[in-house]
Amino acid sequence: MKTIVSVKNATKDYALGKVTVQALRGVDLEVAEGEFLSIAGPSGSGKTTLLNLIGCVDTPTSGTVEVAGKDTRKLSERELTELRLNTIGFIFQSFNLVSVLSVFQNVELPLLLQRKLSTPERSARVRALLERVGLGEHARHRPSELSGGQRQRVAIARALVTRPQLVLADEPTANLDSVTGQNILDLMKELNHTERTTFIFSTHDAQVMAHASSVVRLADGKFVDRLSAADAVAAGVNRRLPTAGVS
Amino acid sequence: MQGQIATLAVIAKIAFRNLFASRLKTMIVGGIILFGAMLVVVGGSFVDSIVAGMRRSIVGSVAGHIQVYSSQSKDPLEVMGGFSLEAPDLAALDDFAKVREVLQAIPGVKSVVPMGVNGAIVPSGNTIDVALARLRDLVRRKLAGKASPADLAAYQAEKGHVHQILSVLQGDIKNARQLQDEKALSPEDAAAVTKAVSPAFWASFDKDPLDSLEFLENRIAPQAIDADMLFLRYVGTDPAVFARSFDRMKIVDGTTIPEGKRGFLFAKFVYEDQVKLKTARRLDKIKIARNERGEKIAQDPELKRYVRENSNQVREILLQLDEPKTALFRTKLQGKLGSAETDVAKLLSAFFQTDDANFDDRYQFFYAELAPALELYRIRIGDTLTIKAFTRSGYVQSVNVHVYGTFDFTGLEKSPQAGALNLMDMVSFRDLYGFLTAEREKEIGELKKAMNAREISRDNAEAELFGTKEAAAPEATPEPAGRTIVAEATPGVRPPEGEGIASKLAREDLVNRVYNPDQLEAGAVLNAAVILADERKIPETIVAIEAAGKRAGLPLKAITWQEASGFIGQLVMAFQAVLIVLVLIIFLVALVIISNALVMATLQRVQEIGTLRAVGAQRRFILAMLLLESLVVAAVFGGAGVILGALVVSVIGKVGIPAPNDVSYFFFSGPRLHLTLGTSNLISALVIVFVVSGLSSLYPAWLAMRVNPRQAMQAEEG
Repeated sequence: MKTIVSVKNATKDYALGKVTVQALRGVDLEVAEGEFLSIAGPSGSGKTTLLNLIGCVDTPTSGTVEVAGKDTRKLSERELTELRLNTIGFIFQSFNLVSVLSVFQNVELPLLLQRKLSTPERSARVRALLERVGLGEHARHRPSELSGGQRQRVAIARALVTRPQLVLADEPTANLDSVTGQNILDLMKELNHTERTTFIFSTHDAQVMAHASSVVRLADGKFVDRLSAADAVAAGVNRRLPTAGVS
Repeated sequence: MQGQIATLAVIAKIAFRNLFASRLKTMIVGGIILFGAMLVVVGGSFVDSIVAGMRRSIVGSVAGHIQVYSSQSKDPLEVMGGFSLEAPDLAALDDFAKVREVLQAIPGVKSVVPMGVNGAIVPSGNTIDVALARLRDLVRRKLAGKASPADLAAYQAEKGHVHQILSVLQGDIKNARQLQDEKALSPEDAAAVTKAVSPAFWASFDKDPLDSLEFLENRIAPQAIDADMLFLRYVGTDPAVFARSFDRMKIVDGTTIPEGKRGFLFAKFVYEDQVKLKTARRLDKIKIARNERGEKIAQDPELKRYVRENSNQVREILLQLDEPKTALFRTKLQGKLGSAETDVAKLLSAFFQTDDANFDDRYQFFYAELAPALELYRIRIGDTLTIKAFTRSGYVQSVNVHVYGTFDFTGLEKSPQAGALNLMDMVSFRDLYGFLTAEREKEIGELKKAMNAREISRDNAEAELFGTKEAAAPEATPEPAGRTIVAEATPGVRPPEGEGIASKLAREDLVNRVYNPDQLEAGAVLNAAVILADERKIPETIVAIEAAGKRAGLPLKAITWQEASGFIGQLVMAFQAVLIVLVLIIFLVALVIISNALVMATLQRVQEIGTLRAVGAQRRFILAMLLLESLVVAAVFGGAGVILGALVVSVIGKVGIPAPNDVSYFFFSGPRLHLTLGTSNLISALVIVFVVSGLSSLYPAWLAMRVNPRQAMQAEEG
């Protein structure tokens, strides 16, 4: 199967005042098209940093990150933005909808930035997607009028509206109750299935991991292992993992 | 293309929604912009209107659009006068006819008015001098045996009057002695006054009236002289051309100076303010303040001061009262006040102690009952003025001119600035300035011949001239017009003896001589006012004048009305500068406040901006969004501010701001300032608003552009 994301020996240092924090210490990861991959690990393990590198909102300090065949370190800020717009969809933990826009307008936004579709085409695609996530009736509502689960559905619709090859979700269910979280995951999985969109999501929730096609475990900025969902649940993510190489 | 419009639409949508979402911020920023825009429009219109008013006042009262003077002058020309009494040192333009010819040939020049501004000391109508002159006249008639019974009665009354004046003078000296070191007062002067008020002196007056009079004139009169000195600024000009060119000028009393004659016109303001009896002037001022400005004596400190001064300073009136008038005043005031007091000074003091309740009544009584017995003006229309002026080389020159009337400028009647310059014919001006005109030269030659070229030393000039006065104040100018006071004259120029050709030249002949236009034109002038057909052409005309001067070999320097008006002209620029500084400060403050508000708003929107960036918005999208927000606020609130300002201006324009005091008449160029709405103000207000909005958006926009899409993933590190 075709590789969509290829991370090789990626490190990421952050300067925190005079101290340099090593968020990633050399991670390798290959993600194939159509995967429903979960990145797991406790707080501070580097999940979000890795997602940021894959999502092209950040570039590695050393090593390479290739997304859809492009080495992100070789791209300009503007090209990275283009890549994000056309190739990647984002789902945030706190939904991050534009509060002043309606549901419809929020979903339409990436299409407007793309400037590829005509108004009727945009409208048709947005409506279809909203129907798909079960919010056909709520197109004119403001995000503030929706529940948490509904908002995350809007976010999912926004992430998928450009038909990206890759959708990144950072703790997509962390702010939702378990039933709603379950529904969101079901929706994501269904879309993964029908649209053949690759999903990479971070979580530390074993229940969420259980839905993944495979689980990549991180600890202290390093790759630990890559397990099947069942094994990962069995291993128990919330337990402090041994450092790499010991397992 | 369609995509771009759609993007723009979404930017606009987000921008507008954000404006509504953060109403407080929008209101603060918008409020500042609205206020600022309004201020620029109203303040700008106000200053523009004042500047226009001052321009009308300055241009229309003396300066004209352009002033021309000699480029060889040491000092710059100041027609309106500065703070110093000294006239600027100007080189003369020797031949005005030629200057006029050159200037008139320049296109756009409507008229050229010859001018010269100078100051003069006028020792006018000193009360004791007037009384003594009258007494001397009566004495002479009595001695000649021509006195009628009425004259004899007048003689007695006048003696009483002089005696009363002396008593007042003695009182003054007593007061002065208490105030200052006794040594400062000459004991001889004090002794002379004591002698003059003594019954013995008056008992012997009839025996030797001429000697007694001489004693009074030489020893007593000089002691009272300084208080009544007048300093007059005047512009020497061709009165007819002046009146034609400055069409707001109008004659108030009397007539204009007849064409070709020597003469003097008082500025009405000077005439009222300095020549009128001070008590009467203060009554007028109180009446105007009460009637026109609705002020109350009880509340206004200035009016209170006037009342106090009128009540305390009755001396000026007392000095005018001879015995019959004293009796008349006593009776009238006792009746009016219902008082048994016999001292007229105290009665007057009580009478002038006015308040809001009795003012109108007392005012009316003063003018109806008391004023007819008083000399209301120290110099009357029809009098002949002897004007002493400091010439350029510092000696004192003197000239007799007939006072023909008073004038003012329509709309500027109450302005001290526009009413400060009196008017004099050009020939007299030249004499006073010290120009040796052809006529003067001829006259001196004749004088020298007639007198065997006798030089008069300064030391004895006064004594000798005294005789001149005696001989030359004759029936030819019947009372009261003959009030001329001669003081120190210039050696060799003034006739020292009162006989023959000298007297003739000095008196009627010179005063009444009619000069032909060539004589007026050909002489020297200090400067000339140039009136243009189109006042917008001032700069190019200035260039043309100086070029034409060069071609004609004339040392012409041309300056704008603003430069020529000296201190007052600079006020115009000062007003503009103050407005600009004020606007700058306000907008600087606005800039900081707006910028701050936008920074706060941006910080609150970091997640939203980060999300937009993560989802694929380029930096310029963010920039466009923020700038559009500022632009919309600037346009909506700035526009509203401009409209509101224009509304305020047009309302004030219709109603007019009343001049709060006399000085403002000049700035307002009339009793009310009517604001006019200039398009330049509207445009500059909008430009300033947009520039300020743009500038204040720069830093917040820069911050917003630096927001990293990572900041959208606000959730803590996994």
